[in-house]
Amino acid sequence: MLEINNLKSRVGDSDILRGLSLSVNAGEVHAIMGPNGSGKSTLAQVIAGHEDYVVTGGDVQYQGKDLLDLKPEERAREGIFLGFQYPVEIPGVNNAYLLKAAVNAKRKHQGLGEVDAFEFLKLAREKMAALGMDPKFLNRGVNEGFSGGEKKRNEILQMAMLEPSLAILDETDSGLDIDALKAVAQGVNTLRGPDRAIILITHYQRLLDYIEPDFVHVLSEGRIIRSGDKTLALELEEKGYEWVREAASA
Amino acid sequence: MTSENIESIVNRRYEHGFVTDIETESLPPGLDEGVVRAISARKNEPEFMLEWRLQAYRQWLEMAEPEWAHLHYPPVKFNEISYYAAPKSDADRPKSLDEVDPKLLETYDKLGIPLHERARLAGVAVDAVFDSVSVATTFKDKLSEAGVIFCSFSEAVREHPELVKKYLGSVVPRRDNFYAALNSAVFSDGSFVYIPKGVRCPMELSTYFRINAANTGQFERTLIIADEGSHVSYLEGCTAPMRDENQLHAAVVELVALEGAEIKYSTVQNWYPGDENGVGGIYNFVTKRGDCRGANSKISWTQVETGSAITWKYPSCLLRGENSVGEFYSVAVANNMQQADTGTKMIHIGANTSSTIVSKGISAGKAQNAYRGLVKVMPQAHGARNHTQCDSLLIGKECGAHTFPYMEIKNPSARIEHEATTSKISADQLFYCRQRGISEEDAVNMIVNGFCKEVFKELPMEFAVEAQALLNVSLEGAVG
Amino acid sequence: MKQVALSIDDLREAVLRMPDDALMATREAALANLDEHGLPSVRDEDWKYTDLGPAIDISNRWLANGATITTTSNDLLADAIAAIAGAIDANWLIIANGVIDTSRFDESSGIEVQRFSESAAPFVMDRPLADLNAALLNDGLRVQIHAATEKPLGILIIDETNAGAAVSQANVEIEIAPGCDAEVIEYQSSTGTGDHFGNSVITLQIGQAAIASYVRIQNRRIGHVQSGRLCATPGRDARLNMASYDLGGGLVRNDVDIDLGEPGADVVFNGLYLAGDGQHIDNHTRVDHRVGPASSSQEYRGILNGRCRCVWNGKAIVHAGADGTDANQANHNLLLSEHAEIDAKPELEIYADDVKCSHGTTVGQLDETALFYLRTRGLDKRQATQLLTHAFAADLVGRAPVAAAIDEITSLVESRLADLIQEEA
Repeated sequence: MLEINNLKSRVGDSDILRGLSLSVNAGEVHAIMGPNGSGKSTLAQVIAGHEDYVVTGGDVQYQGKDLLDLKPEERAREGIFLGFQYPVEIPGVNNAYLLKAAVNAKRKHQGLGEVDAFEFLKLAREKMAALGMDPKFLNRGVNEGFSGGEKKRNEILQMAMLEPSLAILDETDSGLDIDALKAVAQGVNTLRGPDRAIILITHYQRLLDYIEPDFVHVLSEGRIIRSGDKTLALELEEKGYEWVREAASA
Repeated sequence: MTSENIESIVNRRYEHGFVTDIETESLPPGLDEGVVRAISARKNEPEFMLEWRLQAYRQWLEMAEPEWAHLHYPPVKFNEISYYAAPKSDADRPKSLDEVDPKLLETYDKLGIPLHERARLAGVAVDAVFDSVSVATTFKDKLSEAGVIFCSFSEAVREHPELVKKYLGSVVPRRDNFYAALNSAVFSDGSFVYIPKGVRCPMELSTYFRINAANTGQFERTLIIADEGSHVSYLEGCTAPMRDENQLHAAVVELVALEGAEIKYSTVQNWYPGDENGVGGIYNFVTKRGDCRGANSKISWTQVETGSAITWKYPSCLLRGENSVGEFYSVAVANNMQQADTGTKMIHIGANTSSTIVSKGISAGKAQNAYRGLVKVMPQAHGARNHTQCDSLLIGKECGAHTFPYMEIKNPSARIEHEATTSKISADQLFYCRQRGISEEDAVNMIVNGFCKEVFKELPMEFAVEAQALLNVSLEGAVG
Repeated sequence: MKQVALSIDDLREAVLRMPDDALMATREAALANLDEHGLPSVRDEDWKYTDLGPAIDISNRWLANGATITTTSNDLLADAIAAIAGAIDANWLIIANGVIDTSRFDESSGIEVQRFSESAAPFVMDRPLADLNAALLNDGLRVQIHAATEKPLGILIIDETNAGAAVSQANVEIEIAPGCDAEVIEYQSSTGTGDHFGNSVITLQIGQAAIASYVRIQNRRIGHVQSGRLCATPGRDARLNMASYDLGGGLVRNDVDIDLGEPGADVVFNGLYLAGDGQHIDNHTRVDHRVGPASSSQEYRGILNGRCRCVWNGKAIVHAGADGTDANQANHNLLLSEHAEIDAKPELEIYADDVKCSHGTTVGQLDETALFYLRTRGLDKRQATQLLTHAFAADLVGRAPVAAAIDEITSLVESRLADLIQEEA
């Protein structure tokens, strides 16, 4: 589904990704871990197409297409979803309105008709109930005045509604209490399926207790320095990142 | 409203021979007492009206054009303007939509205006300056049942001189300002509304203003009187065809709310703004003022200003009656070379009066957009309250957004709060929307509409939809 | 209503009588400017709420009477100076009735002082009142601060007169060297029974990465007229932290102009004005953001009681290209009397898009619930009012950036508030 080959990227004057390669197949869940500043969020932003992140080398294939050729909205319509680490507030823009516009933009791209308001609301309410969200949130401004946990749940709601092929969750677990963490994990697990792939970006093992990854990668200084199965995450938790770095440079 | 209805109304007008009369009486450019007399005579006005106009004209001669606004434009040549808006003859008018400027039609299409409406707006079938006044006549039966008077100003001068005498100029005196004096001397026509005691007007009243001929100033005059305990909602829409030269529009609107009465006045102003290079467009110098004369009265202004090359407009409230309420909700958009200097005045005179101001300014292109507002609390206005929220949104590097609020407080029990912010659409907001599959243009529209939400929710439903669409059209090409 | 005009002929005579020194050319140029433009009137937008009539009247009377230096009691003046120098431990430069006095200045402090008359460089004239200042200036001070000093620099502008009408000018240019950390106190005071108009211009040039802490105290005799201008130009990455306290004076007009022409500057300035019967205190501030990133933040608070009027006009102009500007203005007023008026006008003019600008203004009175609460605890209404008003003012007193001045400011504010709230509010 996603083939990243020797990807290099820079923000402003600094090189962040320095030759990153990663292969993700349908049905797989990948966890990407690593210390602050290792390039985890940059990877997410580059895949989503943020213009501040300049690609200086390498290529990315997504479902056989050259991903780097596509605008951010085209990538989204092709099924890439980014759950933001810091979801932005958009005052005055109704949450339901954004969500419906997003769902319909994707449906239109797929040659499907627009979903009607009644159907949309019904579906949204179901998904919200499953995530333990108050339906009132639909009528509030996008993330406007939401708490940290509410913002993250809102991201998961959007993901559930948009049913992406590739979901990248950038530190969705940070700042969540245990109930919110469970709700988020449940949302992600519901999405898991043979046609979908999920990339979890996280600092901690904690999230992986609830979402079991097929692969764990350690990112350091813009490269993947070690890959393994879920036991790697446990080992990291115990020994810390220094251990992998030393092992890698040895 | 069916298209048959409109046609029948149109035909009725022609039956009255309105057009033929005017053709012979259209006035050459220039202004002197003779022109004022000619306008009055043409309208068969009673003596009092002519006298009133002449006094206004003499006062105007002694006044100077205001220069304090944050606006820059070449001086208006008042002697090159024709002061009587003679509608175009049938021969000059486009015969069908095929002859209408395609850019204008494109705009109508985007606004979702129905086909027959487009024809009307583009001036194909109807020549009237005040189309809706006549359209409203279809409802005349229903309105007169309720005792509501809704007619053209000319008709009111003839049919209801006692009301006109009593209220005309009582809110905006002839010599209030340069443009108000000019309007008082030469006003062409306008709307007149009277809502009797205790009556809730059974429908929203609306007027569509339109400037037709070239080199013609438009000076309409609107007077709305809501008698004790009555209620009315009035909608005003404005369009003008595209022309290379600037045209002057200097209207006066007077509202009077007596005890317990409520007037809601909504405007969607879309006069021609000129092209991307600032050629053409309307100079919109308008005086709008409401007088909350009675206790517990309320006047609410809502405006969406997207048009005009230059806008100079401060819909205001005189809060005389105890417990009276004034409101001002405004969205002002300036794109390309447009300049807007708009805002409000809330003058607290009575005890326990309160006012709310919500102003949303959007600047794009090379436009300059200024909010100018005055909140004045007189010494006797005990317990006055005001809350002002004034936000500016900047789109692009070459535009300007300015805020000039004045607060003059002379009573120690006043509570006055003013907040203002200026921001731009953040790259993060745009990226977030695009990551959800929404195009950049749609995302900008969505964010801008969100920014204006507090104002749009004050508009009647169908106007709100038009206003949103208009905003999107106005900002087209502003991003990217 | 036509404002009385300044008697230009008398002014010309006064200028021609002044010593033929290095300042003469500037005086004559300023006189020509004044002759052409005159002094501003309430028809000028910047003077909408303040009528300079009393200042012009005093000037005309003084000019007609020979325009001489008017000290009537050297003892009174000396006592007043000693009291202030005793209250604030600073290195004082004194301008008394327009005459420079360096007797209390410690030359070994490292601060370098020159007189305008000793150096040919012309000084700034760009406004009518600055022209008047230049035309009638005996002499000015040019001060250079090269390094942090033990005591803050004090500029005491003090006037004393029992004559019918007197006018005095003060002009000080302060230059703070790059990287230097400097403290400055400007103290304006006056005494005597005559009518007085004091007109001062102070410029503050802050070098690259320097930090200027500036306190301004205005405690003139109620009824005396003052116009005070402060022009600050912070250099790259420089900081200016300023606080201004207006306690006395009759007609007072302060202009603070800050010109941000270098990136990285950070300016914070605050002001407190306390006004009672017969006072008119007008604070005009203007910040020009010419480049970014840079930030400016101001908060002015006023307490008005009795028959008085205060004006606050804060203007921030963000020029084209000044991206990364962060400008904030706040103004809060407590109106305690039926006869008090506040005119507030926060203005933003923005010609760049990557900016964050905001302003907030409130006018109100003390919280009734809090007043009631205090009275249930046994305080009378006056005590309760004073307590709450003090709290409103105390926040700004606490922000005075020069430690040596805090005690004096605290005591001046407390005694002024006690005067203002004497009876049942």
